[in-house]
Amino acid sequence: MTMAILPGKTDLPPMPPPLAGFEHVRRSWNNQFQSYAARILPGEFYVTRNKEGIATTLGSCISACIRDRVLGIGGMNHFMLPATDFSDLGSLKASNLSDATRFGNYAMEHLINEIMHNGGRRQNLEVKVFGGGRIISGMTDVGLANITFVRDYLAMEGLQVTAEDVGDIYPRMVMFFPATGMVKVKRLRSLHNNVIVDEERRYIDSIKKQPVSGEIELF
Amino acid sequence: MNPPAGKISPEDLVKDISGLVTLPDVYLRINRLVDDPNSSSTDIARAVSQDASFTVKLLKLANSALYSFPSTVDTVAKAVTIIGTAQVRSLALSLSVASSFEGLPNDLVSMRNFWKHSLLCALAARQLCKEARRCDADALFTAGLLHDIGELIIFNRLPAQAKEALLTVLHNQEEVTVSEAEDQTIGFSHTDVGGALARQWNLPDLLQECIAFHHAPAKARKHPREVALIHIANSLAQLAEVDSLELDDAPPIDPAAWQTTGLGPDIVESVVQAAQEAFDEIEQLFLGQ
Repeated sequence: MTMAILPGKTDLPPMPPPLAGFEHVRRSWNNQFQSYAARILPGEFYVTRNKEGIATTLGSCISACIRDRVLGIGGMNHFMLPATDFSDLGSLKASNLSDATRFGNYAMEHLINEIMHNGGRRQNLEVKVFGGGRIISGMTDVGLANITFVRDYLAMEGLQVTAEDVGDIYPRMVMFFPATGMVKVKRLRSLHNNVIVDEERRYIDSIKKQPVSGEIELF
Repeated sequence: MNPPAGKISPEDLVKDISGLVTLPDVYLRINRLVDDPNSSSTDIARAVSQDASFTVKLLKLANSALYSFPSTVDTVAKAVTIIGTAQVRSLALSLSVASSFEGLPNDLVSMRNFWKHSLLCALAARQLCKEARRCDADALFTAGLLHDIGELIIFNRLPAQAKEALLTVLHNQEEVTVSEAEDQTIGFSHTDVGGALARQWNLPDLLQECIAFHHAPAKARKHPREVALIHIANSLAQLAEVDSLELDDAPPIDPAAWQTTGLGPDIVESVVQAAQEAFDEIEQLFLGQ
């Protein structure tokens, strides 16, 4: 019912132009928030200077929502670490340059750099972190490894986390508005777990196939 | 490959699985006896006793906080007398339905996660029943446990389309319910399939209507009040699962359902908490092997 009801095109304000490099990200009008919103998948990110939302669905993956609180420029990424052995979180923490964390570093650096390229200032950045749910029981806690990584990364970069909703057993749907900093998080029922795990696994398999050395364009 | 959408009906799907899922013998035996005016509660107790696993579960349940009888229920005869014959029939279905559906596996949801929602719905329905008064809590419990069984059939028979429906829910810009997404991708939803199975199994009207109409309570004809209670219980079970008391976090509740039941949002907190607390105690009885 809800999906059939869309206001006629003439009722909608024009979609704000995307920043260079983000033309491929899917965006559409969201009735609930009365705003355009981009929807990103595992491995993607999106940065905007406009009043629009960025949404994603997270299982054990992490999304960092980062914005310049003065200028309202900001964005969201969606990533996880590809390593399979997370039994020793201590060593993971100690080896931030290892292969395991390389993709996390890329995701974080790309998001921060892109915000700064578009006028954001480092001293104005505020960060909110979501995801890292333990959505499969009996497996190593991939979500916790991702949480540990992002907290460690932000601490090393000296960036302050102003809000987070991480861990626990739930997948999450996140909507972030960089212009205001507003975030809406909705926990999802476990009916969706397997489909989400499946998507995350496909993303991990695709980045694992990338060569280990050299510059890699991940996004 | 998917069968082409629109060519398959809910009834076809139910026919497909008739050899894989059957009603448990103990339920069928008790059902015949309850409907037979010449049978006594002794006959029903004997039918219960013939199924050792059901007997153990029934006695455990009768002594759980769910019933909180003042004295220990240590014999089947006492359980049948104190719980009631029609109610024992409901429990025979409730306590065996999870194992009945083991023959219908799927890759989209783990059986534990599936039955967790169903059991939370059953517990919420039971609690709502107490609040609403004049209502058979055990029948409502069974309705809650069975309300989504059509989902297991869709997931098993139409896995690709079912997955597409779940992806629609996850990635659609607007909030879409699972049954709306199923209607869109398959042409019918789990309520239609569950309703067809309930008819084929000749389940009581109350169960048939609760299964078929829990997302559209206004369609109920014979049991509008019970259907409205399951409609509400379904949303509250989702709150219990994600540990929230905000109605915004669950599928919207039809205002007419509140009206039909005489209940209001003020009962949300107590019902959600009661369902969460009872779940831990009785999960093993219903979902365990």
